Amino acid sequence: MAVSNKQKQKVYAGIRDALVLLVAAVMMIPIFWIAMAAFKTHVDVYQLKLFFTPTFKNFETVFQSPYDLHEKLFNSTIVAFVTVLIAIPLATMAAYSFSRFRLKGERIMFVMILATQFVPAVVIVLPFFLMFRDLGILDTRLGLIIVNLSIVMPFAVWMIKGFIDGIPMDTEEAALVDGSTRWQVIRNIVLPMAAPGIITAAIFCFIIAWNDFLFALILTTNKAVTLPVGLALFKAEEGDLWNLLAAAGIIIMLPMFVLALIIQKHFVQGMTMGAVR
Amino acid sequence: MAGVRLENITKRWGDVVGVDNQSLDIRDKEFLVLLGPSGCGKTTTMRMVAGLEEPTSGEIWIGDRMVNDDLPKDRDVAMVFQNYGLYPHMTVRENISYPLKVRGVPKSEWDDRIALAARRVQLGELLDRKPRQLSGGQRQRVALARAIVREHKVFLMDEPLSNLDAKLRVSTRAELKHLQHELATTTIYVTHDQIEAMTLADRVAVMNHGVIQQLAPPEEIYDSPANLFVAGFIGSPAMNLIVGSTNNGAFEAEGIRVPNVGGDTRTNLVLGVRPEDLTVVEAGQGDFDAPVYATELTGESVLVTITAGDQHIAARGSRHMRKAIGETVGIKAETSHAHLFDRATERRIERT
Repeated sequence: MAVSNKQKQKVYAGIRDALVLLVAAVMMIPIFWIAMAAFKTHVDVYQLKLFFTPTFKNFETVFQSPYDLHEKLFNSTIVAFVTVLIAIPLATMAAYSFSRFRLKGERIMFVMILATQFVPAVVIVLPFFLMFRDLGILDTRLGLIIVNLSIVMPFAVWMIKGFIDGIPMDTEEAALVDGSTRWQVIRNIVLPMAAPGIITAAIFCFIIAWNDFLFALILTTNKAVTLPVGLALFKAEEGDLWNLLAAAGIIIMLPMFVLALIIQKHFVQGMTMGAVR
Repeated sequence: MAGVRLENITKRWGDVVGVDNQSLDIRDKEFLVLLGPSGCGKTTTMRMVAGLEEPTSGEIWIGDRMVNDDLPKDRDVAMVFQNYGLYPHMTVRENISYPLKVRGVPKSEWDDRIALAARRVQLGELLDRKPRQLSGGQRQRVALARAIVREHKVFLMDEPLSNLDAKLRVSTRAELKHLQHELATTTIYVTHDQIEAMTLADRVAVMNHGVIQQLAPPEEIYDSPANLFVAGFIGSPAMNLIVGSTNNGAFEAEGIRVPNVGGDTRTNLVLGVRPEDLTVVEAGQGDFDAPVYATELTGESVLVTITAGDQHIAARGSRHMRKAIGETVGIKAETSHAHLFDRATERRIERT
């Protein structure tokens, strides 16, 4: 007897589900391990115990001397926020210009903006180091903000432009004829309509700035150290302090989880809003 | 209230000519339709009046003011766009009140004005919906209400009916006509649909290749087309354009002879005659005989296409007439609205 189509479909669905589970497991198990380790004592960390008495001691310890994780947390927060606050308005303006005005050398400019994204960070970190040393902004939050801007700006321009392209010209022209100035059109029509894109870009930029490790590692030493670099603090003479590392890891990841939830909502909104024709 | 005057307007993008040195005088309270195939420059002409496009040269006057350098917002025009151009993030009420908001009309007046505009286009209870919750016809009404919520000198409409289905288009057309009459505003209306042009316009400007081919009331455009382009563009089914020559006042071509078309003896002519002016009769009883190529029953009559030489000619038969393909029929021509065109210049030759 031949296998019926229905049975076949069931088998395929089963295989598919198994594969999805496998991929999810590969990604989730390290996070799960860290989530457990963060609540374990130093002794328990190396045992693969699923049931243990959770402790919040690790979260207290990382904020105390000599680790002082709150200083790194503060640096990371300032750097990421200020980067986004500068990048998004600038990128929005640039994206609007690229989208709506025919500029001289527009294509070349746009390609060049994208091209900066293809340069590996390792290649340019040394020039940045030398430049910042001469400018005297090594180990400052300002320096990190500048570097992060150079990374997130092209990305933000590119992303927001896509959303502005999706706004029909008719809508803007209707607003012009209705009596708006160009600025009013941007404020009343373009920004609200591109908001899902702008928010998504902002969150992406925040994540990039927040997670940056390489530049922070090379360009900061003490005062401006950020969270990802701060993880290195937990390498002690008695070996890696995995429980503390895990606790710090949780603190780094937590905002990302929240942002991922928000971004999901806006992504869907951005997809479905579209233009009213 | 004001008329609109275009003086020697040209719009060029590099080598591409959109509008070629055209002048147009639109009277106060007139309903003028710009009609033509796509790419003929009609929308460009309107957009230059709105201020969305800058003329390469020439002057645009609204009333007694030269508006070339005025921004769209300072021209005191209202416009309805083909895709409506509604603001999707605002409710219908906010959409309609947007012109009031940006022009600083006191808030106390808003409710009355919105209510009046909504009543005029029969929007009724939709004011608190978002545009995406509306049907195409309802969106069209919102766009209209937004355009008429404040008084303006000129009303511009860019193919406002083209996104509606056929039935709705007919009823909305009548409403537009009534609305324009009620508002008594100078109106420029762009369309490629000749029926819209014929039904709505006080005067029609037929455009092609950036040039106004003829500017006249609809009847005149229909009855006395200025040239071959207008003759072929206006009318459905299209006017027969038959190549031939005249001989002592009769038009002759291979297999065709139509007497009393005027003109002396000339060659290289085109005879323009509408299918409704050619009646199918029994063979031998008309001006000439020809074999049937095809017949189409349209309801109120039968459209018969005949072959004469290598040309196809459409004619009308009574609705009970049935003819087989290949059968020979006679054609009787009513020539009072037939026109001769010079084949070289494509212009109509005045009857002598």
